[in-house]
Amino acid sequence: MFRQTLCGLLLVAASGAQAADTVKIALTGPFSGGSAPMGTSARDGSKLAIAEINAAGGIQVGNKKMKIEIIERDDEAKNERGALIAQELAAMSDLSGVIGTVNTGVCMAGDKHLQEKGITKIICPAAGSASMTQWANKPDKPGVKDNSIFRFAAYDGIQSAMVVEEATNRKFTKVAVVFDSTNYGVSGRDDMLEQIKKQGNKLTVVAQEKFNIGDKDMTAQLLRAKSAGAEAILIWAIGPELAAVSNGMAKIGMKAPLIGGWTLSMSNYIDNAGKNGNGTLMPQTFIEEAITPKSKAFIDGYHKAYKVERIPSAVAAAQGYDALYILAAAVKQAGSTDTKKIKEALEDLKEPVKGVIATWSHPYTKWDPADVTTHEAFRREQVVMGMVKDGRVVFGNDADRARLIKSATTITPAKTSKTKKK
Amino acid sequence: MNAQIIGQMAVSGALMGLVYALIAYGFQLTFATSKSINFGQGELVMISAFFSLTLTNLGLPYWAMVPGGLLFGAIMGLVVERAGVRLALEQKSEGWILLSIIIGLFFFSAAENIWGRDDRPFPTPISADPIHILGVDVTRLELSVAVGVFAIMGLIELFKRRTLLGKAFEAVSADRDAAELMGISSTRTVMLSYGLSGSVAALAGILVSPITTVGPTMASALILKAFSVAVVAGLDSGFGVVLVGMFLGALESLASFYLGSGWREAPGLILLILALALRPNGVFGKATIRKV
Repeated sequence: MFRQTLCGLLLVAASGAQAADTVKIALTGPFSGGSAPMGTSARDGSKLAIAEINAAGGIQVGNKKMKIEIIERDDEAKNERGALIAQELAAMSDLSGVIGTVNTGVCMAGDKHLQEKGITKIICPAAGSASMTQWANKPDKPGVKDNSIFRFAAYDGIQSAMVVEEATNRKFTKVAVVFDSTNYGVSGRDDMLEQIKKQGNKLTVVAQEKFNIGDKDMTAQLLRAKSAGAEAILIWAIGPELAAVSNGMAKIGMKAPLIGGWTLSMSNYIDNAGKNGNGTLMPQTFIEEAITPKSKAFIDGYHKAYKVERIPSAVAAAQGYDALYILAAAVKQAGSTDTKKIKEALEDLKEPVKGVIATWSHPYTKWDPADVTTHEAFRREQVVMGMVKDGRVVFGNDADRARLIKSATTITPAKTSKTKKK
Repeated sequence: MNAQIIGQMAVSGALMGLVYALIAYGFQLTFATSKSINFGQGELVMISAFFSLTLTNLGLPYWAMVPGGLLFGAIMGLVVERAGVRLALEQKSEGWILLSIIIGLFFFSAAENIWGRDDRPFPTPISADPIHILGVDVTRLELSVAVGVFAIMGLIELFKRRTLLGKAFEAVSADRDAAELMGISSTRTVMLSYGLSGSVAALAGILVSPITTVGPTMASALILKAFSVAVVAGLDSGFGVVLVGMFLGALESLASFYLGSGWREAPGLILLILALALRPNGVFGKATIRKV
């Protein structure tokens, strides 16, 4: 009996000692439910990076190597779960950082708890503009002076600019703007209309059509767009309804490409639209095509580790992977597991981080409440146009493909100008 | 706008309306024999569609999967009858309302746990390419809905009129006590009606899934429309539900075209209120004399 207790005590002591030697990183997101493809892909991408780092002995922190310890939490895409998880994480004294969250609402409900305690979080892989602008200056109230929340995703502003640009480049002049009636859809429409104006009104909007979540029959909206002579459909919605639009177009024999937000690469769009989805265009941060040794290693690694033939959301997986490497680089530079020091390091990363999407040199700068892009890593050049082809997402423009191959072979890509605004 | 667009909208709407009609017909079958309906009918549609999808994924060809799905629907219908309806009817209580809702919720949770919450495509050998008839585009898939609906309703009506068992069904519908006195087991007949109703729900699921995808919430919109159709048409006219279903479907798509998609549901609801106010027994319903 005494022996057992002693053994137990020793074990506790041993594990306690071990805990002090690890870097604790929390991975959160929806791992079940409708947003799960994005949440699990991001988590698994991060875990792949963690496995690589730990296999090499861990992160060099000061004079010793420390392995990464994962804390995993499923927010189920529910705001209240997100708030609970954030409170739990904020109460941990030795947490180094958090990576995760897909849904804007979850960010809005939970991130304030982390921000209060100054816990470093990288929002990845998605979340609409509001998740960052909530910390920025507003007409009626100033933003926070210091912010520990960063984002690693192609924000809506970049995406809508690219959508309009793509339609113009493809020589379309008449377009229909179609969107769902949620916040996401309506703000997407506003962004696109603003971009059309900004880019010189080269596109004429001949129809504006909306639908509700759960609608399956889009014939009315599509017929109106068709009879108005739309050559392309600019669309902002999510998976199942997007599929209903593609299938509805096939039915009425309408041949116009869909161009829209990155949700057009969700597996529930691609699978439900089937061959009717071919030719659909959307901005992507990563395409599941082994064009460089680095991306080949990542894709093969993911397929092997999780026994799949297609990454449920390649964009989310690649972003999860790169975000983890960026956080690890910040831990190394800070030489500490203290989350506040890591935040400072993150705002001024000295060494470029080689990721699978790009080589990230100085992704973030000191927080400025007047400019959220200080805590946004993505710029226009890290985003490419993807196209659906036979159930997969491929490069929409060969030029993007060539550019990525080229930038991977040059040593360090030109540093992104930080003054560029969205 | 022009006649072609009106024709297109009316035809696609009416074809979807046939699905509402089929689900409403499922209500009628059980209402006829037991004066009860399954408020979880939508979940029956959904769970049968999921089951049929599983059969397809196991490699069963479409034509073998359909009878399998119908059988499953019938069994589920019997489960509802045994677990939720029989006891309540024996006690002459209205408990079946709540019980059938609860069983529906149970099916919903079961489907979420077994098949997940995602919407999934439902493979079918019937082509989704449009064919052009008199200036209107319809897909073979949509036509298959019409064929399926008329086939099963025709078969069931024939069965009711031409077979001994069917005549027993009609007898119980007409007067339960008198039928009992003639030696017809009303319990068995109610079981039969729930089984048939389950099969009808399963067929609705199989027909509509290739168009709308399969997911736990697939039937929640359909079921409300089916209620409207059943109420407007009356709970004892098979011919009525078909007409009202097609009319409502066409009205919906025309409304969403002319009034905007936000107003899609409005004409149906107005129709429902009018029907309740002017013809509480339904447009095609028979006025019943209530003996007190």
